[in-house]
Amino acid sequence: MIRFAIKNLCRRPIRTALTAGGVAAAVCVLASLLAFGEGYRKSLDIELKRMGIQMMLVPPGCPYDAAARVLKGKALDVSLPESALAAVRLDSAVAQAAPLLMAAIPRPSEGRTDMWVGIDETLLPLKPWWKFAGKSGWFTNPSSVIMGNEAAVTEMRRAGDSLYSPETKREFHISGILERSGTSDDSMFFVPIQTAQEMFHQEGRITAVGIRLKDPSQAATAAVRFQQIPGAQVVTMGEMMGTFTTLVDSVRTLMVGIAGLALVVSGLTVFNTMLAMVMERTRELGVMRAAGAGRGHLLKLLFTESLLLTGFGSGLGLLIAVLFSSTAEHFARMAVPLAPDGRLMDLSPAIALQCAGAGILVGAVAGIYPACRAAALQPIAAMRESAQ
Amino acid sequence: MATTTEKPIIEAQNLSREYARGPEHVNALSNVSFHVMPGEMTAIVGPSGAGKSTLLHLIGCMDLPTSGSLHIDGVDTAGLKDRQLTRLRRDSVGFVFQQFGLIPTLNVLENVLMPTLFSGRQEAARALQLLEQVGLAHRAKHRPHELSGGEMQRTAIARALINSPRILLADEPTGNLDSASGAEVLQLFKSLNSKGLTVVLVTHNESAAATASRRMTIADGQLVADIRQ
Ligand SMILES: Nc1ncnc2c1ncn2[C@@H]1O[C@H](COP(=O)(O)OP(=O)(O)OP(=O)(O)O)[C@@H](O)[C@H]1O
Ligand SMILES: [Mg+2]
Repeated sequence: MIRFAIKNLCRRPIRTALTAGGVAAAVCVLASLLAFGEGYRKSLDIELKRMGIQMMLVPPGCPYDAAARVLKGKALDVSLPESALAAVRLDSAVAQAAPLLMAAIPRPSEGRTDMWVGIDETLLPLKPWWKFAGKSGWFTNPSSVIMGNEAAVTEMRRAGDSLYSPETKREFHISGILERSGTSDDSMFFVPIQTAQEMFHQEGRITAVGIRLKDPSQAATAAVRFQQIPGAQVVTMGEMMGTFTTLVDSVRTLMVGIAGLALVVSGLTVFNTMLAMVMERTRELGVMRAAGAGRGHLLKLLFTESLLLTGFGSGLGLLIAVLFSSTAEHFARMAVPLAPDGRLMDLSPAIALQCAGAGILVGAVAGIYPACRAAALQPIAAMRESAQ
Repeated sequence: MATTTEKPIIEAQNLSREYARGPEHVNALSNVSFHVMPGEMTAIVGPSGAGKSTLLHLIGCMDLPTSGSLHIDGVDTAGLKDRQLTRLRRDSVGFVFQQFGLIPTLNVLENVLMPTLFSGRQEAARALQLLEQVGLAHRAKHRPHELSGGEMQRTAIARALINSPRILLADEPTGNLDSASGAEVLQLFKSLNSKGLTVVLVTHNESAAATASRRMTIADGQLVADIRQ
């Protein structure tokens, strides 16, 4: 029966291919979008957990943008007074608070922008994953620099080498190189905070304060207190992640809606194709009835054909989604600002199953009416109709 | 050939079939009564539009009479449900059509086996044997479009026989064939009939009618002559 159904589908290969292609396209888009949302949420989650920072004090402006920029190691145009740091440290709920001063040095000749970050040792507990390569280590003097792994590779420097920064006309000594962490730290240059303040003429200013609380559940009440600090606003990571995910989710809902619509349209083509198959084969179906096929047999045959058609289409769509997930990831990364570093596309078996299920469900719904039409044919009506 | 102790295999009493064509009613068949004994070979003849196909479809349980009664292979068809009619059709009759009705995507062997898709029986060996019998064993793997008209019709006959029916119904089986292939097909009917198969064929062709042992003439929906030759 199934082989017979396949042969019937192969009778009009182009029409069958087009119909299956429509289903494939819809399922592919649906799967990619769902995978994207899933992957985005997961990588964001991982990235935020790894931060070791639960809260951040940033200058006024869009707080989420500011926080995201700091997390991604991008410079802020505005800054906080150092007194904000002192105020935070006074709060009893705070376990650790570390100042950050970020500045970007554009290097057009090399086609990149170097991020310089002023830090002090209070940052270390907030970056528990930091490991120094080999015997390298923490700053030894004000002109020490710690380089992220990638930064060291691009500059072709090793621990102990010196590094000249032509833009600020300073000579540095590389005290440490960080092992690769997969975060934005990999491409940064860390210097003692006072050095950074001098370099960028930001004496007494910082860009952000990273905060870890003694008890993370105190975040909400602590946030209210930090909000009182003049010239600063507070962002909790949970909130920030929430904002990101709602933003991404709402865009995604829209896109999934469109993909769903595409699926419905592909369902209509399946419907149309199946109905045409029944019409074309009316005489044959009559011959089958004469040969002992019951209504149920024809119902089953036509229904099988439409399931095979959409099943094949869905499979193809998923295959394409998997094969091109890295390309899709590339485009998604270009389209989504401040995307997390982890994998954006996460096509889990559950999602694949859901999409295939949706595709086949469409096939089933679209196949019902044509199959019923086939089953309802009167044997002689079927013969006569096409005898004319 | 028919002995009086045997029961008729087809028994029709006052069979009528009316069609509604717009507001008027067409009596395609009115009050036709006859019976056919097992092993008979009957030709139904008559002018176009006389009701020959209508009668054949009734006998084949493809259609139901408006009134009258019909027994096929001992089963009263009155009040049978679609499912039961289907079963009767599958087990008791084989159909052969003027246009062959082969499925183009299936090869000869698969076409012969097509009815077993619906009966669930395994008949591969029997299919090969039937192809042997109709002289098409060497064509088993060919597609219908690679066959001559006569070969297509012989394939259709093998298909009609796959479920071992007792009755073979044919509606103008030679209508689309040249005279040589037509004669071959008729010869095949004759030899099947000589092995005990009951054959009813509708024909316009005089020589085809002459091969049968009985000739029923239908005109205007009525049985006007019934001659055993
Ligand atoms: N479904 C139908 N609706 C209305 N009228 C019909 C229908 N089927 C058959 N008829 C009419 O019934 C009559 C008998 O038709 P039938 O097909 O049995 O004739 P026939 O003897 O087989 O003719 P032919 O030799 O041309 O095949 C014709 O007048 C035909 O027009
Ligand atoms: Mg006819």
